[in-house]
Amino acid sequence: MTELTFARVVDDAAAALSLALDRELTGHAVLTPQDALLLDDDGAGVVAFTDGVPTHVHHTETGRGGAAALAALAATGPLRVECYAGEDGAVPRTDQTAVAPGTPAERLAGDDALAARTRDAARAAGIDDATADADDAGDLDAVEAFLADEQKVEAIRDRAREEARERAEEWGFDDL
Amino acid sequence: MVEAFAVASGKGGTGKTTSTLALGMALAEDHDVTVVDADTGMANLLFHAGLADVDVTLHDLLVAGGDAAVSDAVYERYGMRVVPCGTGLGAFRAADPARLRGVVADLAADTDVLLLDSPATLASRSAVLPVVLADRAVLVVQPTIPAISDALKVQEYATSYGTGVAGTLYNKVQDPEAVERVAAKSGKYFEGETLGTVPEDDAVRAARRAGEPLLAHAPDSDAAAAYRRAADAIDVRDADAESVADRFRSAVVPEQP
Repeated sequence: MTELTFARVVDDAAAALSLALDRELTGHAVLTPQDALLLDDDGAGVVAFTDGVPTHVHHTETGRGGAAALAALAATGPLRVECYAGEDGAVPRTDQTAVAPGTPAERLAGDDALAARTRDAARAAGIDDATADADDAGDLDAVEAFLADEQKVEAIRDRAREEARERAEEWGFDDL
Repeated sequence: MVEAFAVASGKGGTGKTTSTLALGMALAEDHDVTVVDADTGMANLLFHAGLADVDVTLHDLLVAGGDAAVSDAVYERYGMRVVPCGTGLGAFRAADPARLRGVVADLAADTDVLLLDSPATLASRSAVLPVVLADRAVLVVQPTIPAISDALKVQEYATSYGTGVAGTLYNKVQDPEAVERVAAKSGKYFEGETLGTVPEDDAVRAARRAGEPLLAHAPDSDAAAAYRRAADAIDVRDADAESVADRFRSAVVPEQP
């Protein structure tokens, strides 16, 4: 059994991934979007790390793995991150769940700098890209899976509209 | 006759400035076009348009009590009028973004199509202002989840403030067939149509290095052709220039706190 190393709520996926990277986590992290905490319907993403570098991803609700699991996880806003140190079987380390080191930062966070930093860390630690042998053609599958999740996309739109209305008042746009 | 478009993305690195100039040049074949670098905090249009050394820029027009006339910051280039913005931090601090409204009103009186290269963020009032001032937004997205999410946010901000959506442009596309599928699926969330998909193209980087808009540097490139098709897909609407200018002038945008 592995031990909960730390848990906290962070602003976004970039913060969660850089937390694991900075602490050189070897083990796994459970990422739960705040929506799931509130609505209890979205499941969580489990990411396996080696020396802070994400290697495999699994989504609990959809059963998806790899880049497709990232789509299920994609959400804006805060998420809870729980890190567990130690090698374990929380994420099946198979081709199906494998991700390239920089992919979670790119897909989840859209953070090219963090992705580059993660790839550098992977090289420094001698971590192979677990997807190197896997079929890479399905790159946009994750995007399609994301767009197929109507509830999630509509939630993003609703939140943005709400934010726009609040800010209109704050910024004095309400008389436009 | 004038319509103002905000070329917006919500996320950096989608190729917004390249797209603004490319759409501008393509639209300039049929319209009087003015392109404005409305990204006053991260200005870079001047480097794309060979205007890095000019004296007067949009920044000078946004300084309270400045003596520059709007026409001083307008440069005739590549068949369009181009209004670059400076990159100096001092000028940025002195500039009052709320004055953009007046500048846009002046420019609107004298052109068919205004393209506002807009900031890649929704984090501040000045960043959102170009989207507020525009009639419609052109959303530049890459086929990634964060880029699509952020473009959707821009759309919701735009429509909340009465700005329409002219369409979505997929940029830096590596796998056109797969992106067709993505565009088809995203179509139900985006207002306006998919204007096109622009392939990832070395010509774009070469144009940037040369300090020239893509359509001037590599008019025969695949990316240039895609931008021309996208521009054709935009139906520029007629409006009375004076009424548009009045609308911009009367827009209520209070001073910076």
